[in-house]
Amino acid sequence: MYNILVVDDDREIVKAIEIYLSKEGYNILKAYDGEEALKQLTENEVHLVILDVMMPNKDGLETLEEIRKTKTLPVIMLSAKSEDYDKIAGLNIGADDYVTKPFNPLELIARVNSCIRRYVNFGSLNNKKEETNILKSGNLIVNDDMKKVEVDGKEIKLTATEYNILKFLLKNKGKVFSISQIYENVWNEESYGAENIIAVHIRHIREKIEINPKEPKYLKVIWGIGYKIENLD
Amino acid sequence: MEKLKYSSFLKLLCYLLIPIVTIILILSMADVFITAEYGEFNSQQDAIKTYNFGEEYLYNIISEVRYIKSNQERILEDYTQYSKITDNSYQNSIYYKPLINSTSSIYDYIEFIIIDEETGILYTNIRTEEYQKEINEITNNETFWTYEDGNIKTNIEAINQENAKYIIASYSTNYLEGMKIYTRFDDNSYTYSNSYFIQQAVYNMFKTNQNLPAYLIPITSISLIVMVIYLIWALGHEKDKKEIQLNGVDKIPYEILSVIVFFVIGMLISLGVASIETQVINQKMLISLLLLSYLGSYASFAAWVTTTIKRIKAKEFLHSFLIYKICKWFVVKIKTLVERLLDKEDNTKNIAIVYWGFVIISCIIAMIFNSFLGTIILLAFWFWVFHEIMQYNKKLNKINLALKEIYEGHSDIDLDEEELKGVLKSMAKYINDIAGGFTNAIEQSLKSERLKTELITNVSHDIKTPLTSIINYVDLLKQEDIKDEKIKQYIDILNQKSLRLKKLIEDLVEASKVSSGNVKLNIETINLKELLQQTIGEFEDKFEKKELIIDVNLPQEDIKIQADNRYMYRIIENLFSNITKYAADKTRVYIDLTKQNNEIKLEIKNISKDRLNISADELMQRFVRGDKSRYTEGSGLGLSIAKSLTELQGGRFNIQIDGDLFKVIIKW
Repeated sequence: MYNILVVDDDREIVKAIEIYLSKEGYNILKAYDGEEALKQLTENEVHLVILDVMMPNKDGLETLEEIRKTKTLPVIMLSAKSEDYDKIAGLNIGADDYVTKPFNPLELIARVNSCIRRYVNFGSLNNKKEETNILKSGNLIVNDDMKKVEVDGKEIKLTATEYNILKFLLKNKGKVFSISQIYENVWNEESYGAENIIAVHIRHIREKIEINPKEPKYLKVIWGIGYKIENLD
Repeated sequence: MEKLKYSSFLKLLCYLLIPIVTIILILSMADVFITAEYGEFNSQQDAIKTYNFGEEYLYNIISEVRYIKSNQERILEDYTQYSKITDNSYQNSIYYKPLINSTSSIYDYIEFIIIDEETGILYTNIRTEEYQKEINEITNNETFWTYEDGNIKTNIEAINQENAKYIIASYSTNYLEGMKIYTRFDDNSYTYSNSYFIQQAVYNMFKTNQNLPAYLIPITSISLIVMVIYLIWALGHEKDKKEIQLNGVDKIPYEILSVIVFFVIGMLISLGVASIETQVINQKMLISLLLLSYLGSYASFAAWVTTTIKRIKAKEFLHSFLIYKICKWFVVKIKTLVERLLDKEDNTKNIAIVYWGFVIISCIIAMIFNSFLGTIILLAFWFWVFHEIMQYNKKLNKINLALKEIYEGHSDIDLDEEELKGVLKSMAKYINDIAGGFTNAIEQSLKSERLKTELITNVSHDIKTPLTSIINYVDLLKQEDIKDEKIKQYIDILNQKSLRLKKLIEDLVEASKVSSGNVKLNIETINLKELLQQTIGEFEDKFEKKELIIDVNLPQEDIKIQADNRYMYRIIENLFSNITKYAADKTRVYIDLTKQNNEIKLEIKNISKDRLNISADELMQRFVRGDKSRYTEGSGLGLSIAKSLTELQGGRFNIQIDGDLFKVIIKW
């Protein structure tokens, strides 16, 4: 039973989140401003915080700063501000994830699950490093011996083609490859113009390994240039 | 170094040392040169014993004899020159000429008796009772010289028998034939005016420090050079002052100062020369007068040189001429007059006046001065006029350029009104005002656009919070087990509309940002072909769902453009998303990318499922869409955003509607 602290000055939103996450089996603690949240954190054992940015008394960013002084637990920022610089500011202060309002409940749940898995299984993830033929970036792990793909400790089912593309990109993580380069490397033959299918495969991979395929964390689309696996290590 | 430059003590010391060092230098040099020139003074302290003296002595006698010989008749008649006197001891005539009223320098210091044997006449400047006795006595004199029948008796060694012959030979000697000459040197009347004495005086003066060593010459010359260079370097600099400091003397017009200084120097030098030539003064007084002359001249000259150096260093040399000031005054007067005439808004008449003024001035110059000087002055005058015209034209061109800038849409113009005059000045002022108005208008509109964007962004944040609850609780309602189909239907509508509201708000914020140019572009080289392939891949399932047939025609080679890849994707995404919303099911969609003559063209064509009774322009405007589609998903801002983004990245975005055929053309 993991404890999740939900902080938002809008009580209805807190309530809604409570309903969703309770169904997932989490125990919910509630706070309606930054001060209260910090108090809750000292009084209870908390495994994850969902933190609104715009709040009275102490806003989300200030609260996050306070939390980070003593704690390493995962924090998901929740905000109506969707500008890039708002997200960057939150992530820079030490947020683990950023969800914009209005949010898709399923996405929020997926992100919470992912964060919790990462936080709780941190030690066991490290052990896997010792195995051979492991390709990884952050919490995306490809075990080539077992042909298994795992994200945040959860196994993902990929088709053979998708697996090959992912393996190739993960092997060269951080590098950008155009569609024809991917085709030539994965199929080992000259591209002849009918490689449009690659873009479709990659979308499928994204839909499977990413929580929000439109804002991918691992498999990034560099529009007009190519694709890459973000190097998160 | 700086300290040296500012030390007034050091400068004063230099001024005081220079005359002393100069004197030492002159004396040391004089020592060397006088010794070379008048070396015999050394061995013969007495000037009388020198060859120079002898030569001069003999020359005077011969000149006198020549005078007597060639003017004999005049002398006999003209008693003003020689008076006839009688003396019993001498049977022939005696002509006497007193020492005063002398015509020849012989009377300065030589007493003579000259007898012309041919006529038996005696010429003399000695007044005595018995000439015969006197003739005999002359040889007893301290210094004498006699000539009798070609024989010379003398105790002046320099003109004894041998030397005298040599000297006499250099003159016309036939005068001496038949002459008896008895002379003696009158020590008392040997005066200061005698050139020989001057030589001796100079010699004596410079010989006072006979022991000056020769090495003083290089030492004093070098120290003089050093002091002069130091003064040239340091003059006019004062502590804590950057500029050359000029005082009262430096303000006096240069030519006036020069005239005064050289007049004074001339006077002082004359004083020195006169004091040497004057007979009455003694050596001590002479030396002091010479010193006064020397020091006075030095002081005047030093002051003049100092002010010259300072003026040159202060770049005031030319300006300190009175003639320059006068010329400048005239030029300025003429210039201001001309400017005043040209200042008027309507200056046509005045231009004529100025033009004919120039012609008249040219004529006057040509008439006053002679041809050569006149030509030069005229050329200078015309050059000046030419220069002024060029300057005027330069300013005119500047204004023209400013106008061009405004015409081309730049408004950051700031002409310097102060440096312009007359009509040009008012032109510059009008241009600045126009440019300022433009800048203001642009700034105002930019500011209001920015405020609008900010307002929309802020409002959107406020709307998003309650919207979150609406979406979440509608979603929660959906999960409830509801039996009533009607309620289920209502909830579905709520769900759809709340999601559409969300999309609308997001698009609204983006559209306002993009249309006000309030986005930061990250321009790089991207491959448009790759981008299209990627985007088609993204939309593949959506196209399939509507059973659209995608006809893609991409070129073989890569199509490189300079753009922000994320915004480029947004453009294509918006267009494709429109296709999935508004294209008729099971129709063909054409995507053509071509490159011709450096022009990249992307054409996307589809068949609209609804009748498009709206113009292309209206479609691209914010919030305008085909009437019917207002009831479907989407915000209607997609085309507007795509158009703004294309234009922000330097492309052209066009829509063509032909019946049901909807065509988007993007060009680079």
